[in-house]
Amino acid sequence: MAQTKRKKAGIGMLAALLLATTLAGCSKDNNKPSASGSASPNASASGNTSPAASEANKPDISKKVTLNWYLLGDAHKDTEKVVAEWNKMLEQDLNTTVKLNFTSWTDWQTKYNLLLTSGEKIDMIFASSWADYYKFAKKGAFMDLKDLLPTYAPETWNTVPKQDWDDVSVGESIFAVPSTFPEYTPDGIVYREDWRQQLNLPEITDLNSIEAYLDGVKKAKPKVIPINGKAWNEQFYLFLSNFDFKQIGGDSGLIVAKSYDTPRDIVAYPFTQEFEDWVKRMKTWAQKGFWSSNTLSDQQEAGDGIKTGNGAVYWRNPAGAGGFINDLKKSNPDIQLGYFPFTRFHNYATPNLSINNGMAIPKSAANPERSLMVLDKLRNDPKYFNLMTYGIAGLHYDDLGDGKHIVVPAKGQDPKVVTKYDIASWGWRYEPNMRSEEGGWDGLDKLNEEFKAESKPNIFAPVLMDYQEVKTQVTAVNQVFQQYGQPLMMGLVSDPEKALATYREKLKKAGIDELLAYVQKQTNAYLDEKGIQ
Amino acid sequence: MRRLVAELVHNRVMFLMIAPTLIFFSVFAYLPMVGIYYAFTNFSFEGGLFGSEFIGWQNFRFLVESGSLWSLTKNTVLYNLAFILLGNLLQLVCAIFLAEIPGKLFKKTTQSVMFLPYFISFVLVGAFVFNLFNSENGVINTLLQQLGLPGYDFYMHTSPWKYIIVFFSIWKGLGYGTIIYLAAIMSIGDEYYEAAKIDGANIFQRIRSITIPMLVPTFVLLILLSLGGILKGQFDLFYQIIGNNGMLFESTDIIDTYVYRSLAVNFDIGMGTAAGLYQSFFGLALVLTVNYIIRKTREDYALF
Amino acid sequence: MKTERSTQVFNVAGYLILTLISLLCLLPFLLIISGSFTAETEILADGFKLIPNDFTLLAYKAVFSEPGQILKAYQVTILITLCGTLVGLFLTSMTGYVLSRKDFLYRNQLSFFIYFTTLFSGGLIPWYILIVRYLDLKDSYLSLVLPALVGAWNIILMKNFIKSIPESIVESAKIDGAGDFTIYRKLILPLSTPGLATIGLFMALAYWNDWFSANLFITSGDKYPLQFLLYKILASAAVLKTNIAGNLSADMKPPAETLKMAAAVVVTGPIIFLYPFVQRFFVKGLTIGAIKG
Repeated sequence: MAQTKRKKAGIGMLAALLLATTLAGCSKDNNKPSASGSASPNASASGNTSPAASEANKPDISKKVTLNWYLLGDAHKDTEKVVAEWNKMLEQDLNTTVKLNFTSWTDWQTKYNLLLTSGEKIDMIFASSWADYYKFAKKGAFMDLKDLLPTYAPETWNTVPKQDWDDVSVGESIFAVPSTFPEYTPDGIVYREDWRQQLNLPEITDLNSIEAYLDGVKKAKPKVIPINGKAWNEQFYLFLSNFDFKQIGGDSGLIVAKSYDTPRDIVAYPFTQEFEDWVKRMKTWAQKGFWSSNTLSDQQEAGDGIKTGNGAVYWRNPAGAGGFINDLKKSNPDIQLGYFPFTRFHNYATPNLSINNGMAIPKSAANPERSLMVLDKLRNDPKYFNLMTYGIAGLHYDDLGDGKHIVVPAKGQDPKVVTKYDIASWGWRYEPNMRSEEGGWDGLDKLNEEFKAESKPNIFAPVLMDYQEVKTQVTAVNQVFQQYGQPLMMGLVSDPEKALATYREKLKKAGIDELLAYVQKQTNAYLDEKGIQ
Repeated sequence: MRRLVAELVHNRVMFLMIAPTLIFFSVFAYLPMVGIYYAFTNFSFEGGLFGSEFIGWQNFRFLVESGSLWSLTKNTVLYNLAFILLGNLLQLVCAIFLAEIPGKLFKKTTQSVMFLPYFISFVLVGAFVFNLFNSENGVINTLLQQLGLPGYDFYMHTSPWKYIIVFFSIWKGLGYGTIIYLAAIMSIGDEYYEAAKIDGANIFQRIRSITIPMLVPTFVLLILLSLGGILKGQFDLFYQIIGNNGMLFESTDIIDTYVYRSLAVNFDIGMGTAAGLYQSFFGLALVLTVNYIIRKTREDYALF
Repeated sequence: MKTERSTQVFNVAGYLILTLISLLCLLPFLLIISGSFTAETEILADGFKLIPNDFTLLAYKAVFSEPGQILKAYQVTILITLCGTLVGLFLTSMTGYVLSRKDFLYRNQLSFFIYFTTLFSGGLIPWYILIVRYLDLKDSYLSLVLPALVGAWNIILMKNFIKSIPESIVESAKIDGAGDFTIYRKLILPLSTPGLATIGLFMALAYWNDWFSANLFITSGDKYPLQFLLYKILASAAVLKTNIAGNLSADMKPPAETLKMAAAVVVTGPIIFLYPFVQRFFVKGLTIGAIKG
C-alpha cells in the first residue's frame, strides 16, 4: 500500500511528484533474485562490437526504415543534435533512422498507458517494473521477443545473464530487454551529522538511536521539526525495515512476509503485535513533535526542511542521498550530513530487479527486427552507447579513459551553457559501458561495497500479481488504509488503541482476508516454482 | 418521416448552418462513446475494446460493495449544490452591482481583478490553503498567536474544511460567472428602464421588477446545465486542497477523489469507465426530471 | 439631476462589497508575484510573504532559460487561440441562433443531442485513438484546435443570449425577404455582441489555458504551446527534487516552488490584457434602433 498513491496519473505536475515517489519507492522492491546475476556481465564482451552471427545469416537490411522510439521524461536541449549524429551512424551501419520521442514527465503514466492501449505504431518503448511492466506484459501489450533476440540482438542475447532474462519472462515469453546494471536502492535516511556530534547524541545504528537523535534535536532546538514536511515515507519505511517486513510483488500493500527467512509466513501487518506497538510508539513521536500535525497535507519534501535549517531527517535511497548531499555541499557548505541505510537493521541488501529499467517492443510495432538491431548496437557498441547516454564527446563530456569516469562538461566548455546530457537513458544500461561522473559523493561507492558483501537474492519482487480476481478488495482495502491507516501510523489519532480497533474492523469489512489469501497463493506458487522453502 | 423531409426542405438553410456542429459532435463526442463498453469488460491488449472478455456488472462492484457509495454520492451532491447555488447567487449580485453603480474605471478594474483567481492553478490554490491554515507558520495561526489567542489545528479537525472548499470554489469561479450575468443584463433593452424611471421606480424597484425577472431564464439555464454534472466533482479542487490526508476524508471525500484513490493502486480502465457511467446516469436522470418539471411550468425556461 | 437616496445607498453598498471581493481576489495574486521574486529557501522556511527579504530573479531565469523556445511557444498559443476562437465562435453562434428559432422544428431534439455530450463520454482512450489513429492528427496543430472547437455549454449559453432578442425583428426581416443566413449575419450577430464577447472570451481562455491536448498529441518541441511548456518545466523541476535525482542530475536545479509562481505570472500576463478589450463590448442598450438607423 505504500505505493498506493503512486501508480496512476495525477494531474499535471502532481503526477510528476507522484512519479517521483514511484520511482524511488518501487526501485527498492524490485530486486534481482540472484546475486550471481549481478556479478555476471562479463567484461570480455564489453569491447566487442562485431555481431555474433556470421556474415552469411546476417539479417537483411536492404530496405531503409524509420523507427519510432519512446522514452520517458523530457528531451535535453541538445537531444536533436545528438539524435542527428546517431542517425548518421545508424544509416550507415543499419540503413535505419530513428525518431526519438519523449513522453515528458507531465502526466506520464496517462500517456504511457495511452500509447500502449491505442495501438500507435511504436517500435521500441521504455519499460520497467515501476511502469507496470508485468501488468502490461501479462495483458498482452508487448511483443514476445524470445525468437527474435538470438537473430537480431545476438550480442545482447549473450551478455544479459540468464537470471535477468528469467526476471523479464512472463510464462514462456520474454517481453523486454532488461538493462544490465546491478544496483542497490534500499531505503535509508539522511541526517544532520553535525548536530548529532554537537549535541553528543549516539551514533545511529538502530531504531532506538534514531529516536534518541530525533528527541535530542527536538529538545535542543525546539523550533526545528525533525522530519519537516511530508513524513510518511520516513516513518513507513522505517517501520517495514525495522521489523524486516517484506513487501511482495509490485504493489503488495498491507500484505507482507514476516521476514526474509520465512517467505511463506505472510500476514496483513495491521493485525500484528508489532504494528500495535509501533502505532503506540508513533503516537509518542508525534506528540513530541518529530513531525507536524499537518504532515499528511504537507507537499514539502523533508529535504527542503534540512536546506532551510529547520529539519533533521530525510528519506532517500543511496543514489538519491548522494545527489542531495552533493547539492547541499554547494548551497549550504556549513551543513554536515550523514546517511544511514536501513539495510543495517538486519544486515543484508538485495539488488534491484533487472527490469527496474529496460526496453520493450509494443505489439503494434512495424519493424521489431530492425528495432532490436538498433538496440543491440546501442547497448553494446561504446560509440553508440556513449553518444546516446552521455551526449557528444568533447562537448557534453570527456572520457577520462580509465574505463570508469567521465568529466562533465568537456574541458573548455562553459558549464553554464553546456549542461549535463541527461535523458532517461536507463533502459539500455549495460554495466561495462557505464561511466560515472568525477567528483560525486564518495559515500556511494563505499555503500555499494557494503551492499555487495551482504547481498541476498530478492525472492519477493518477482512474484507476479495482477489482482484481477480480487480487484474489488484491493481498492476497498486501499481506501481504508488511506483513511484510517495513515493517520494512525503517523500518530495523529487521539486514541491509538481505539483507532487501531476501527482500522482492523474496517479492513476486515473491506476484504483483507481474501486479499491475503490471494497474495499467499501467488507467493506460494512462485516459491514452489523456484524451489524456495 | 414526411414531416422530417418537409422540415429538411423547408428549413434547409438552417440545417446547413447547424450541420458542421452536428458533424463535429457526432465525430468527437458520439463516436468515442463506444468506449462506454469498457465498463463491462475485463480489458486486455490482445482483445482490445470488443475482443476483451465481457464481465457484466463486475466493474461496478468496487463502488457498491465498499458501502460508502451512498455517503460519497451525498457528499458530492451537497458540495455541488453549494457551489452551484451560492456561486450563482454571488455572481448575480456582483453582476447587478457592476451594471448599476457609476464609476467606469472602478468597474473595469474590479471586473478584471475578479477574474484573476481563475488563472491561479489549483496547485497554487492548494499551496495557499496550506500556507493559510497550517499550524506552524500558517497565516491564521500566526495571527491568533499575535492576538494572544490559542491556535487552532485545522488539519486535525474535519469540520472547517467544508467551508474552506466551498469558499475557494466560489472564489475561483466568481469572475467567470459574473460575466455571463453581466452580458445578460447588457442584453436587456434600455426602454424597459426608461419606462420604469418615468413611472418613478427607484433603483431597488427597478432591479426587482426588471433586472431580476429578465435574468431568471439565464439563472435557471445555468443551474440546469450544472445539474447534469452534479455527481462529477471538481477533482483538482479537492485533490489539491485535501490531497491524500485521510484525516479529513470524512467530510471531504467525493466520488472523483474516491475513484482516483481506488484506481491509483491498480489502474483498471473498466472500473474507471464504470464509475464515470454511474456519474453520467445520475446526472442524466436528474436533468431530465428537472427539465420535465420546468417544461410543464414555464416552457421557455426549459433546456430542451 | 439629484441622485435619489435609494441610489446612494445602493452605490455605497456596491462599492463596499465589490472592493472587499476585489481585495480577496487581488491579494493572492500579489502574493504570487512577490513569491516569484523570492528566494526558494525563504518560501520554504516562512511561507508566502507580500514583500520578499531576499529578492531574486532565479525563477524567471529558469523559465526563460531558453528564450527562443518561450517566444515560439507564445506564438503557437496565440495562433491557436485566435484560430480556435474565431472559427469556434462562428460555429457556436450559428448553432445557437438556429436552436433559438421557434420555427425550427427539431430544436429541442437537437439541443438534447448536443447537451447529451456533456453528460456521457467514452473516456480518454477512445477519444485519443480517434484523433491519433483515425484522424491522424498526432503532432499537428489541428490536434490542439479541432477537438475543442465547439462545446455544448457555450452553444446553449449562446442560444440563451440570442433568445433575448425580440422575435419581431426576425419576423419583420423575413417579411422583407431576408434569408436565414442573412438574418444571422446582418441582424443577430450585431445584436448579440455582449453574448459573443462573453463566449469568445471563454473560448479564448480555454484555448489559452489548455496544456492537456498538447501533452497528449504534440511530440515536437517547436510546436509546444506556452502552457504545456511551462508544465513541462515544472514537472522536470519536481522530478529533480526526488529520489531519482541521483539518476537525473542537472547542473542547475531550478527552484521548484517559486518556479510555479513565475510560471503563473508568465502565463497570466498577456491574457489579462484581453479582458479590457472584451469589456468594450459590454455596452448597455445596444437597441434595435441603433441597428436599423
